[in-house]
Amino acid sequence: MDLSAFVPAFDEQVDNILFWLTDHAAFFFDGARVVLEGFYNGVLWLLNLPPFYVVAILAGLVAWRSVNLSFGIGTAIALACCAVMGLWPETMSTLALVIAASVIALAMSLPLGVLAGLMPRLERFLAPALDLIQTMPPYIYLLPSIALLGYGPATALVATVIVAMPPAIRLTSLGIRMTPNEFIELGEALGTNRVQAFFKIRLPFAVPSIMAGVNQSLMMAFGMVVIAGIVGSGGLGETIYGAIRTLNIARSIDASIAIVVLTMILDRMTQSMASSRQKMGE
Amino acid sequence: MEFSPGAFIAPAVDWLNTNFHPFFAMLTRLIEAILGGIEASLLVLPPFAVIAIVTLAALLVLGWRMAVLAFCCLGFCLLMGLWIASMQTVALVLVAVAIAVAIAFPLGILAARRPRFEAALRPILDIMQTVPPWVYLIPAVMIFSLGRVPAIIATIVYGIPPMLRLTTLAFRGVPTDLKELGQAIGAKPRTILFKIELPAAKPTLLVGLNQCILLSLAMVVLAGLVGAGGLGAEVTRGLTRMEMGLGLRAGLAVVAVAVLLDRLSRAALELDRRKV
Repeated sequence: MDLSAFVPAFDEQVDNILFWLTDHAAFFFDGARVVLEGFYNGVLWLLNLPPFYVVAILAGLVAWRSVNLSFGIGTAIALACCAVMGLWPETMSTLALVIAASVIALAMSLPLGVLAGLMPRLERFLAPALDLIQTMPPYIYLLPSIALLGYGPATALVATVIVAMPPAIRLTSLGIRMTPNEFIELGEALGTNRVQAFFKIRLPFAVPSIMAGVNQSLMMAFGMVVIAGIVGSGGLGETIYGAIRTLNIARSIDASIAIVVLTMILDRMTQSMASSRQKMGE
Repeated sequence: MEFSPGAFIAPAVDWLNTNFHPFFAMLTRLIEAILGGIEASLLVLPPFAVIAIVTLAALLVLGWRMAVLAFCCLGFCLLMGLWIASMQTVALVLVAVAIAVAIAFPLGILAARRPRFEAALRPILDIMQTVPPWVYLIPAVMIFSLGRVPAIIATIVYGIPPMLRLTTLAFRGVPTDLKELGQAIGAKPRTILFKIELPAAKPTLLVGLNQCILLSLAMVVLAGLVGAGGLGAEVTRGLTRMEMGLGLRAGLAVVAVAVLLDRLSRAALELDRRKV
């Protein structure tokens, strides 16, 4: 067996398959790209519509309502700092990427998680796939997406969606399965039908777990969006990538601060939503 | 109005680089030496010999399933023509995990003993685990420039929080009656630690080790962006030059290494459970 002949043959085969795909399935990938970029641009347009202080104040108000007053004030000041550092457009495009990717990921993984929670068979079928996705370093998800969608935000979105899905699926199905038995039996005794039993009993109990999943997904999405700067996603990731390559220390510190600020704000907000729902449940 | 905190911190970094250069250079040389040694010992034998040794060890200790898995994963790396890069990545992960555990383990025990220390540590760990991995590479690159050393420093820092948390959890979870039993029979604190607490905490510690290994691998691969070498560098080359064949091979080799490290450390955990 000659191993050295295998590598060039493999590379050639991969190139051939990619050429074939770009020849025959271009309409599909172009379509996907246009849709994804359109969605991303829409979110970005919305975020850029108001001036930065309006966004900062709104975010501060939301943070105040969801966490507490001092965190709200901190949020507003921190976001204003991003603008003062001259990184407002980058911050907003990173935020738009995270939002767009999380919306797509959640739209797919919440129903899937509910189904997996209701059907143990599907759960057993999904578990190894989710394990594998979570075992692999996030960085390599950029490879297939850049091969098929090319350089740009669409690639970043696809890779981010893949990374963000597993925690949401897992925690949703966990939440659905964890409904206390006596409540299901109570529902049966009261003669609820299955739809009612799901929406009135199982779902409310699952909400804290689902919110924890949303928080985890968001954090995974963040990590990925920043890495995706290398494939031209735009935003803070690309700023850092460029700054590191030109050894522009000041700029890369600024961009890192902006990333940390944004991550902290979103993390605390979603976390507190999860815990406040929990309190309501109790 | 424009204000850049980075413009204030950058001179501080410069100052550090000029005044502490001997220290950083020494650290660099030390890490390079350790890494070089481990890499050389992984590469000194021909690939087939390494595969045979790992497979045999897995067969003897963990059973035939792990042996088959180890053989397939390592054989796959060889088949993909990325043996050297794979071994470089494995060496980076091993060194990073060893140092991270050496730092996190005593701190974790201390945090389990002193609730105050843990309370002080908790917000720092929270922040460290929320920040995206990319951000860890930036300060490392500023001080150690490009190459393997910043990569490994960032990886160590990234791997510490999960290990620290699970060490604290593990030692907190040791049943009090066991510890009291040790004190009652007049065992020295050191004996209690190694003969009673450590065995009781082992399952949770192994979970922490598994987490630490996987996070370190993710970071080491990402560090290909700052010139860490290994499989991460091949993935980066594939991505930036659009050499999809190379990128795909490197990506699959990363998967093989990840699956191998994950399953081996998990199998070690199961082995432990079976004994208990």
